[in-house]
Amino acid sequence: MSNSIKENLISSFPDIQVEVPEKDRLKINAEKEEVISILSYLKNKRYGHLALISCVDWMEEKEFELIYILSAYLARDDEYTDRERLNIIIKTRIPRDNPEFLSVIPVYENAEPYEREIHELFGIIFSGHPRLIPLFLEREYEIPPFRKDFDNRQYVKDVFDKIPSVL
Amino acid sequence: MRELELYFGPQHLGMVGNFSITLKVEGDRIREATANPGYLHRGFEKLMEYRTWIQNFPLVCRINVVEPDHMELMYAMAVEKLANLEVPERAQYIRSIFLELSRVASHLFGLWAYANMLGFDTVAQWAMYHRDLVLDLFEELTGGRVYHIYIWPGGVRRDFPEGFQEKIVNTLHSIGGCVPDYDDIFFNNRLFSERAKGIGKVTREEAMALGATGQVLRATGMKYDIRKVEPYAAYHQVPWEVPIREEGDAYSRIWVIRDEMIESVHMIFKLLDKMPEGKVFNRTPNPFKWKIPAGEAYVRCESSRGELGLYLVSDGGDKPYRVHFRTPSYPHGLTVLEKVLKGESIADVGNIMISLYVVAPEIDR
Amino acid sequence: MAHKYSLHVIYFCTGCGIIEIPPSITARWDAERFGIIPVATPRQANLFLITGYVSLKTLKPIIRTYEQMPEPKFTVGFGSCPINGGMYWDSYNTIKHLDKYIPIDGWIAGCMPRPEAIFVAVTHLWTLIDKEMADGYKRYRKNYRYYRANQEQLYGKLDWPPLFPIEDEK
Repeated sequence: MSNSIKENLISSFPDIQVEVPEKDRLKINAEKEEVISILSYLKNKRYGHLALISCVDWMEEKEFELIYILSAYLARDDEYTDRERLNIIIKTRIPRDNPEFLSVIPVYENAEPYEREIHELFGIIFSGHPRLIPLFLEREYEIPPFRKDFDNRQYVKDVFDKIPSVL
Repeated sequence: MRELELYFGPQHLGMVGNFSITLKVEGDRIREATANPGYLHRGFEKLMEYRTWIQNFPLVCRINVVEPDHMELMYAMAVEKLANLEVPERAQYIRSIFLELSRVASHLFGLWAYANMLGFDTVAQWAMYHRDLVLDLFEELTGGRVYHIYIWPGGVRRDFPEGFQEKIVNTLHSIGGCVPDYDDIFFNNRLFSERAKGIGKVTREEAMALGATGQVLRATGMKYDIRKVEPYAAYHQVPWEVPIREEGDAYSRIWVIRDEMIESVHMIFKLLDKMPEGKVFNRTPNPFKWKIPAGEAYVRCESSRGELGLYLVSDGGDKPYRVHFRTPSYPHGLTVLEKVLKGESIADVGNIMISLYVVAPEIDR
Repeated sequence: MAHKYSLHVIYFCTGCGIIEIPPSITARWDAERFGIIPVATPRQANLFLITGYVSLKTLKPIIRTYEQMPEPKFTVGFGSCPINGGMYWDSYNTIKHLDKYIPIDGWIAGCMPRPEAIFVAVTHLWTLIDKEMADGYKRYRKNYRYYRANQEQLYGKLDWPPLFPIEDEK
């Protein structure tokens, strides 16, 4: 199953790298311009469940890595095949200094809260998102909190420990 | 009529957990609903990057306070995948029994919340009492009522004590013997069907487009359950069925929860019959100096609310580099809730929210 | 002090407490034997249980709820997290010492304490009420200037006016 999808992908998109690291997982490394077309292609092949959009901060290499994980719903109500067991992981890299990317909401409707969360915790701007306002955080931070150069313990010392106790 | 803005806020008798919804109403009907999470945000995934692999286990079970065992299972499975550890056969059976007991306790908690909100106080008290009987079993096995820290990379922490199997069987018989009473008072009651039929209806195409899994999807007729799609632990060793309903409203979702509870109890009896002897854990390397090779892993399982997943990245050191949980309440509480609440009346907001089976700490992490 | 035998608890489960408060008020660990029942609005309550950790967003409803309760009122911190931060001591979004912002009469330790621990704490609170040592609300009235200064140092300008008049220091 994974090998047939791998061959179809390589024939449609000539310069991506596809590998099968283990059973039931398919990993695709793509350039940032091709991600939306790969996602639409896979959605037409019935991989319609976007499970997760995640982000990793590689500070030494000065890049962010965006990860999209897809899987398939059941086609027939009581048949469990190899197609539903497969998880496709699509990875791409964007530069860390001016991070921005295209929103995938036109393809997958449920990507909206994932992109809001990545925007407020990492600082990446998604163009085309209808509502890029804070989701969890109550205030603005100088460095977005999940980046590797934000030091948790120093922040706690600076803000919370300076308040005097009453007695 | 004028349009008003109301806050269905964190301190409300119909809200389970700290979660807030901003409603724009006209008369009694809702025109627009906006979910407002963030009251329980601790920055879990950043905290886990400062602690070693073993120090993260007491932390990871506090992400979902109602049902902490599936979180431990996910972290243990991901660490085993990255570090290439094997789990012995008896430990897989014990893990399955433990997780099914946790599922029964979690569904009884959900039944307490739903029946309390609708006004059926008797059923709420019964459900909480039966859940306490299951928590007594957990306390004897692991030492704690709510946070167990029992599933370990390489197996489980300790074996069943003397006479524990008979205790499990007796407790489940005493709970299962009360199912006709539950049906008489709550599930077959005409008041429940009048209040819940046709409310909060989600069609199958909407559920698939919004990323819903779990009871929201199984109440529309699709048998999507990760225990059958990608089996883990010992679920493929015994025969069992996935319960579904067809209509997709709040009534069908509660009936799916009831059927799942009964199926879990039957599954525990079958697993207890078939469990082999043997050891229950393989030794891990010295936890103070454990470095896991670089790589990434994505694992998933079926928690009591839907599909739970974990994406783990290691860079070869003694602490994780990036941890990201895909929790089932994230799409249910943020995208499905805002779509389903349009056009409903204010009195049904709690009804819909608890039947979608959202737990607030899972959204914020 | 007869009102100690009928403490009405405000039903506000902040944080992890959603898992051990419902068992305490239902049939098995019956809290009504001690006179405790949950009520819906802060105007009818006189005991506030802060169950579990408090985040930055939750502290504002907690302060407003506490200020709406009529006097005499008592607060009990439940769990290890309000005492000194607990397990999330290095998080950027949780409050570490809760009694810098509202006054607390007693603490219950544990990372989810058992329901029996709640009952031991309530009987201890009765002894404190008898000896007139449970005076959190009097301390709030006397030192309101300092509590309000701490709240404003954390949040900037607050949306609600001061509860008691603050006289300026000459």
